[in-house]
Amino acid sequence: MPETQINSTRSLLFLSIGAIAGLLLAGYSLFTARSASSLSVPAEDVALVNQQALSRSDYLMLLHTLYGVDLSEATREQRQKVLNDMIREELFVQRGKELDLVSSDPETRAALVNAVEMEIAENAITAQPSEASLRQYYSAHQDRYLSEGVMNVQDWVAGRDSGKTKGDEFYFAAKIHLGNQLFAIARDLSDGSSSSPISMADGVHVLHMLKNKRPVLFDFDKARPLVLKDYRDEAIDRLKVGDESFLRKRANVRIADDLR
Amino acid sequence: MRFIIVVAIACFIGAAVFATTSFEERRLLRADPNALPTDPALLHFAVSRGEPLFRAHCAACHGVSGAGNPTSGVPNLTDNDWLYGTGRIADIAQVIEYGIRSRNARAWNLAIMPAYARPRPNPSDPHIQPLSPQEISDVVEFLFDRQGRNADAAAAVRGAALFEGEAGCYDCHSTDAKGDSAIGAPDLTDAISLYGDGGRDALFQSIAYGRQGVCPAWIRRMSAAAIIETAVYVYSLSHARNANQ
Repeated sequence: MPETQINSTRSLLFLSIGAIAGLLLAGYSLFTARSASSLSVPAEDVALVNQQALSRSDYLMLLHTLYGVDLSEATREQRQKVLNDMIREELFVQRGKELDLVSSDPETRAALVNAVEMEIAENAITAQPSEASLRQYYSAHQDRYLSEGVMNVQDWVAGRDSGKTKGDEFYFAAKIHLGNQLFAIARDLSDGSSSSPISMADGVHVLHMLKNKRPVLFDFDKARPLVLKDYRDEAIDRLKVGDESFLRKRANVRIADDLR
Repeated sequence: MRFIIVVAIACFIGAAVFATTSFEERRLLRADPNALPTDPALLHFAVSRGEPLFRAHCAACHGVSGAGNPTSGVPNLTDNDWLYGTGRIADIAQVIEYGIRSRNARAWNLAIMPAYARPRPNPSDPHIQPLSPQEISDVVEFLFDRQGRNADAAAAVRGAALFEGEAGCYDCHSTDAKGDSAIGAPDLTDAISLYGDGGRDALFQSIAYGRQGVCPAWIRRMSAAAIIETAVYVYSLSHARNANQ
């Protein structure tokens, strides 16, 4: 077998090339990554203010909102104005943090609470539930996915139509017009039937039902948008409770003796 | 020695590909999104990277082809009919970034379709009053009439009065019923139906029980480049000829 020759110069050369390449890549990442960039402004941003990035998409949106123009159509002055506005806002936000406004300004506190709640909700909305979960939810909450019943009922008092009802009405409207007691009786009447005389303070009423279309369960396809909304709303509520519980667990809360 | 040369060449090619991709990505991020259709190379780059992103993040609702799903009210992204904005790449990117009723503060949150068969059609607006079943049917006839379909003429006249008056439909959908893409109110005069088949029953269902579709905000889950690439891909679905050039 031929003897292996070790060329130390070549080994060192490759080692050096590898090391330099590694350093170059690390340096590139260090100075251009969004979270760590200190020398150049990352391509997705328009400025760095004390290392805080100002997003390019926000810049484009503001440009369009303020002047109704795209980047390529905007004048130098328009671009500069929007950029200056964004920098000013960022500087004031940073100053607000320095002044610890969050501990004293009620509007800032309310905005932060709202923003955290919205972020929790945002997480729940991004998660797409499976069809099986939605169908299960629909089956468990069928009372929420009923159509509104419709009735056309006449309310006779002393031989005259009281005029309380107005043709075809949704159940909730009929309930308002008839009152709870008469509506409860009317709901059970079938088409063409009349109630027994009902004694009330204003006289004896007789209800005559012309049409009673009771609430029906929407099939899943029809109800799906509502099911998805309710499912998400419940997930948001659960997440909010969970987050609050987590925050309380990790917080050091001390309560004054007189309020314990 | 030969092995080392092969490895070196592979590294060089890899570095070259990385550098080119990185360069193209930066170019894409710094470009005016709405001017991208005039740069075929950059458009092609973004479309090719946007397709897998679309499949991963959007296809669950919009379908792999982007054709949507009228059962769930998921809009068709291939027809160049835009519910929000005017279909410019920046508008699409904004929807992907902040969503629609996504609970993000910058989302398109302004309007919902009230449920006129409920005691409080829009819980956040007490001025909107419920309608009776007959009134809802009249509005449906009015919409059929506006779409050039066979409608009950007398009911359509009553529906028009409700649309422009008491029901307040004009407030979002405009007095000509052509909608307002600034708040996501659909054009009710065309043949495109967001929910269902556009028939009387589907329209009645929308008016009676309301609509408020949601699109998530992806800003915290996708990079800026991924958002613009997905937006360009979505744009390409309805502008296939330009995007594939």
